[in-house]
Amino acid sequence: MIISKQEFLVRAQLEHETLEAWIHEEWLIPGASAGEVTFSDADIARAQLIKDLKSDLGVNDEGVGVILNLVDQVHGMRRVLTELLRSLRSRA
Amino acid sequence: MKDPYETLGVERSASPDAIQKAYRRLAKKLHPDLNPGNKEAEERFKAVSAAYGLLSDADKRAQYDRGEIDDTGAEKPRQRFYKDFASEAATGHPYENYSGFADFADSDDVLSELLRRGANVHVRARGEDVRYHLPIEFLEAVTGATKRLTLPDGKTLDVTIPAGIQNGQVLRLRGKGRPGIGDGEPGDALVEITIKPHRFFAREGNDVYLDLPVTLSEAILGARITVPTPTGAVAMTVPKGSNTGTVLRLRGKGVLRRDGSHGDELVRLKVMLPEQPDPELEAFAAKWEGGKAHDPRRDMKS
Repeated sequence: MIISKQEFLVRAQLEHETLEAWIHEEWLIPGASAGEVTFSDADIARAQLIKDLKSDLGVNDEGVGVILNLVDQVHGMRRVLTELLRSLRSRA
Repeated sequence: MKDPYETLGVERSASPDAIQKAYRRLAKKLHPDLNPGNKEAEERFKAVSAAYGLLSDADKRAQYDRGEIDDTGAEKPRQRFYKDFASEAATGHPYENYSGFADFADSDDVLSELLRRGANVHVRARGEDVRYHLPIEFLEAVTGATKRLTLPDGKTLDVTIPAGIQNGQVLRLRGKGRPGIGDGEPGDALVEITIKPHRFFAREGNDVYLDLPVTLSEAILGARITVPTPTGAVAMTVPKGSNTGTVLRLRGKGVLRRDGSHGDELVRLKVMLPEQPDPELEAFAAKWEGGKAHDPRRDMKS
């Protein structure tokens, strides 16, 4: 589902400046449609993760970048592993 | 019903600080996005955040302590976690990153075979690095050189050896390794350099060492002699009264340093007697009084 910037700010409970800063850090990578940036449900969940890291887990800004990068790598690996298992099963 | 104090592992009398600390410690371990695929962590995280939601609010905590509320319903509904999206998207996710296993994507084992076949839709991996070993001559290391490596597949690879390279140094040739997967970049060639020993030069860091034979007369009377250096012969003065072990320094005749300056060549003199016995020298030594009093081994006496 495509979410507008306004709706994203409301649903993720974010300030405009904060969102700009996160996009600048590439913590969030919005899509684009008709010259407007757009977001997805996954972006909202990701914003929630960043908020959790910063507020609940006490991670500082440098740490957030490191963690997101590692989390993204874990998901990349999980995907390949999933496909690998599927491939193994289909060959078995 | 579970006791929220127990869930967080704190005393009933714990300070708000201690409660936050306990919560952070558990959240770091249990946050579902840091444990994708671990259902148990997710359940425990929910319980822990519910307990924290209750105990971090002073009013609610007081009410709970007085028995006015229990912890049911304290669990706050929350949107789905990021991991739920990251793992469901059928087409891969914009944030997904495959660099974590790029190193084993192109080796020749079963796993990489499966990676290529099974995940060919999304896998975009950098090619593997390939290691080579290249022995070079001592002087090539000093002055720099271009060497041609012949690869197992018959291709050749030109390796530029920078002047001043050290033994064991590894040169990285970008993009000269195995090809990447998908539109991934190729890997690098890593060329480890071994410097072969030289017939008479030795090297330590950026200094060159040379044992230089001189005649008895050159040592006693001093002389201007020609000395080899890695960049050609130079003239050097042997001072009068030099001995075996005397070290003379030729500044700047060593190996190029990173900062552009050069190390030195250290010339260690080795006084040599004539190869054939010399009657005149023997006669001189026999009647030489100073030679009888001289004891070069005096320091070895106990």
